[in-house]
Amino acid sequence: MSATLTSKRHTVHDLGDAIEFCFAQGWTDGLPVVPPTTDRVGRMLEGAGLDPKQEIGFVAHRAVSITAEKVAINAVMAGCKPEFMPVVVAAVEGIADPRWSYHGPGTSTAGAGVLMIVNGPIAGDLDVNAGDNLFGPGWRANLTIGRAVRLVMRNVCGSMPGTLDRGTLGHPGKLSYVIAENEAESPWTPLHVERGFRADQSTVTVMAAEAPHQFYNQLSNTAEGVLTTLCDDMRISGNVMGQPHYALVLAGEHMRTITGDGWDKKRIRQFVWEHTQNSHAHLKRTGRMAGPIQPGDETKLRPLVASPDDIFVIAAGGRAGAFSAYIPGWSSSRSSQAVTKEVRR
Amino acid sequence: MIELLDPTIEVATQTIAFVDRPASLEGKRVGLIENTKFNSDRLLAKIGEILKAEYGAADWKLFHKHNASVPAHDEIIAEIRKTCDVMVAGIGD
Repeated sequence: MSATLTSKRHTVHDLGDAIEFCFAQGWTDGLPVVPPTTDRVGRMLEGAGLDPKQEIGFVAHRAVSITAEKVAINAVMAGCKPEFMPVVVAAVEGIADPRWSYHGPGTSTAGAGVLMIVNGPIAGDLDVNAGDNLFGPGWRANLTIGRAVRLVMRNVCGSMPGTLDRGTLGHPGKLSYVIAENEAESPWTPLHVERGFRADQSTVTVMAAEAPHQFYNQLSNTAEGVLTTLCDDMRISGNVMGQPHYALVLAGEHMRTITGDGWDKKRIRQFVWEHTQNSHAHLKRTGRMAGPIQPGDETKLRPLVASPDDIFVIAAGGRAGAFSAYIPGWSSSRSSQAVTKEVRR
Repeated sequence: MIELLDPTIEVATQTIAFVDRPASLEGKRVGLIENTKFNSDRLLAKIGEILKAEYGAADWKLFHKHNASVPAHDEIIAEIRKTCDVMVAGIGD
């Protein structure tokens, strides 16, 4: 395998030097990395059965071809196990997909992270966390898979913070932003099945996304009660004037309350879509929509997203605690769409 | 000793041919690309008028991208090639 790796080689004295060398080259996200040696990179490629020259994606906006070798090197640096590599590869295919439209979320001042939702059998096989401390810390797969994708964005696609990546604020999910859906305990149709895959397929869905917003309702014992709180929190959030998607992450207690009333994901989406609309007058008064208030603006409503189907409902998070979260997508539907890719092993 | 593999993209150097900048805008048709951000059209219209009034440009024309996050599409690039002598591209937010 090593003979076929064509990346430039650098020689350092020992492990400590290797870690410092990677920092000095500007290859890291600010945390130490695992030194990408030939052996480790070879094993990473074997984890996905890939030839190093194979193109994983082509980012037309950047005229960049992302090869398996470069993905593997960055996955090693991120701390991935070789068996994580197929998920990293699928996520990289996702961000290179024209529908995801790399240039915007890879550079924007609005500071998108790459939310990655893992579905199917691979989530359990790799111990991708779908429960307590969903957004971290504590699980190697969650923290290293997303980190690998971000390192590819930095080192291969050129999204360097402060130069091409001009996120005004960014957010912690830009380090890693990987969750799995809690398919084992959820009564609902998994996200990947809703998006056209079979339940026994494994997938990763990539969504350009803002940070998660947690909400709290410990009082309601009905679906409508819990979701009313969610909608009140969510109505004014994110970009308001045109996200492509929202992700709702419903954790154990809320999931049980909502399903106790017999609500499925479709009904949740419809309710949330209807109850998160803002009047044009409010959007204008609060500096979100341009122009003076016109007759009729008080009753003219604007939904957060174009269709209920643009709201992804995901069962995930710990069993205890009356908390769930919503995640606004980045920018607008014209600028980036979530993409689901099959994980091939 | 440890040998590390470089994680960054390694590209072959290529030469890009640029058209020489004109010595003057006198009589030139100027293309301006608008990126759809708020007020970018108004800002560029103002710039277009300044180029006419102060630099002698013959005229200016505004072209609209699909949105700020994507490159200019082929149709407007073709139109600029046909109808403009000079174009101004930039990035703003």
